[in-house]
Amino acid sequence: MTVQSKDSDTSSLNTSRWLIPGLIILFCIVAFYFTTQFDRVPEILKRGIQPSDFPQLILLLLTALACLLPFENIQYNRPAIPPSVFISLTLMIIFVLLTHLDFFIALGCFGGLLSFSWGERRLGTLFLVTLLLPTFVFFLFDLVFEVRFPRGLLTNLWYG
Amino acid sequence: MEAIFSGLWALADPMLLFLIVLATLGGILVGALPGLNATNGVALLLPFTITMEPISAIAVLTTIYCAATFAGAVTAILINTPGTSASATTCLDGYPLAQRGEAGRALGMAAVSSTIGGIISVLCLMAAAPLLAGAAYKFAPPEYFALTVFGLSMLASIGEESSIKSIMSGAFGVLLATVGIDLLTTVERFTFGINELTEGIGFVPVMIGVFGIAELLAQAGQLGIFRERITLRAIQLPSKADYKKTWKAILRSSGIGTFIGILPAEGATIASMIGYNEAKRWSKTPEEFGKGSIEGIAGSEAANNSATGGAMVPTLALGIPGSPTAAVILAGLMVHGLRPGPTMFTEQSTFVFAIFWSMLLVNVLFFFIGLYGARIFARATLIPLTILWPMVFLFSIVGAYALDQSMIDVWIALIFGVIGYLMRRYGFSVVSLAIGLILGGMLEKRLGQSMVMLDEQWWLIATRPLSLFFLVLTVLALAGPALLKKIKKFKS
Repeated sequence: MTVQSKDSDTSSLNTSRWLIPGLIILFCIVAFYFTTQFDRVPEILKRGIQPSDFPQLILLLLTALACLLPFENIQYNRPAIPPSVFISLTLMIIFVLLTHLDFFIALGCFGGLLSFSWGERRLGTLFLVTLLLPTFVFFLFDLVFEVRFPRGLLTNLWYG
Repeated sequence: MEAIFSGLWALADPMLLFLIVLATLGGILVGALPGLNATNGVALLLPFTITMEPISAIAVLTTIYCAATFAGAVTAILINTPGTSASATTCLDGYPLAQRGEAGRALGMAAVSSTIGGIISVLCLMAAAPLLAGAAYKFAPPEYFALTVFGLSMLASIGEESSIKSIMSGAFGVLLATVGIDLLTTVERFTFGINELTEGIGFVPVMIGVFGIAELLAQAGQLGIFRERITLRAIQLPSKADYKKTWKAILRSSGIGTFIGILPAEGATIASMIGYNEAKRWSKTPEEFGKGSIEGIAGSEAANNSATGGAMVPTLALGIPGSPTAAVILAGLMVHGLRPGPTMFTEQSTFVFAIFWSMLLVNVLFFFIGLYGARIFARATLIPLTILWPMVFLFSIVGAYALDQSMIDVWIALIFGVIGYLMRRYGFSVVSLAIGLILGGMLEKRLGQSMVMLDEQWWLIATRPLSLFFLVLTVLALAGPALLKKIKKFKS
């Protein structure tokens, strides 16, 4: 089966045809190296297989299948990743950085910024996703499910 | 017999009944919202069940599974966007009917056929699961190993692009299952000195990542898509003429759906496609299909809902997930310290039958809630994406954290969100990854036990009749589709 639009970019098709299997094989080689560093157990304790045997078997299978990938007769011309995806990914990185300040400040900021970057301009909606929902979820998990969240600027106000 | 009644009695707890009603409403809401489906709904709500008793927790998860599978039809019919992939074939006839002003009739048929399909499949589950569990008592580690290999080989058919990519995703999941301390030898593997990884990569954060956060990124790429929404005046029960026209399709699709559900890894989506095609093949008016055929809706909806009961058969009896959502439920069972398999039917028979009864109950519940609440649930499709997806992220992150109250789980969910998005983009199935992760530990353990049992002569696995049977099925599952294609090509 060949699925290819008229305006397909042959070079990008070739890139994804070879690049992805190449990256997978590279990953397998690195992971295989790590498996060689696993401790080996004496014959009497190994219970059938050494700790490295099974992961190595899977990595060999992955490598063999990755070698077959370029020869599959399927070519999809994928559109470029939209900027909104990169923006969302960037916001996730900002979320990770802000968690050092406070878990819920990070969640609130992410919610508000994601909503804004997706085109939301109504203040009520932004208020809802930035403040109301994180506050509701915090008290729901804290009071009902008795989950203790990491300490931070805001959570310290509650935990004391 | 006693277990059947004790299971029913366990369901008489008012709190549990309240939770089931609540989960039915939640499940219908999840299924009606485009982008959310039974699998990511169950994955997102799993952390909420941590503090519950196992019966309540699993009953809630299975309820969401059944209700969300049904509710996918609401958006399929009203906005031509399947709420779940299992309802994709419902769009084909549901939306044209809605455009003709018959949305209520289409939704009524979806509710009736889903209920009938669901009830038939749960009855089959109640009969077949204990039988299968009884047969599984004869399984030794080599048989379990061969069965798990067969379960993984079925992943070949669930990917959207290619069988090889699906198997690779499954193998990646199995590899992830090796992270942490090897239980047989206590040797650390792929932990890189991170203490939190010694217990392995948790199922729940990975599921939340690949089903919740990856979907958020996928939705980010679809902003600006306009969906025309058809107003629903009132839902309408099928007429006598509709019943007469569709009863055969409903029964046929219920059988197909249950059977497909029982097959490892195959879920409601494949069931609905086959159910729809068979309804068309046997119809006296196949030309109406795709233009607003009531038989098309019946065939698709009965099949996708009957797959839910079928999928729970191997999940509970063998510990092999029968569908993507069943894989998440299986993770839920493990989180609650339950070990699915034949022993569950003797040691926790009340639990098992309570789950069966709750699934039967939810099939009746969503019929009434679906009929009388469809107008309200249809409004759920109006929730702006700018509220829905920040909310999904919030629940994903807090849910991932809440399970072990560990930030490493949050990072795992985020990392697998990105990995899941990239996998989906390049045609690798995230469902295969999730199933591989769940079955990976079992596969390695059974291989190790088989090696000890067979004195390290692994090839002897194939000399045991039952193991050989599963290995032959594995070869057929892997080579069958390609062979059939070649035979068809040769014939034509």
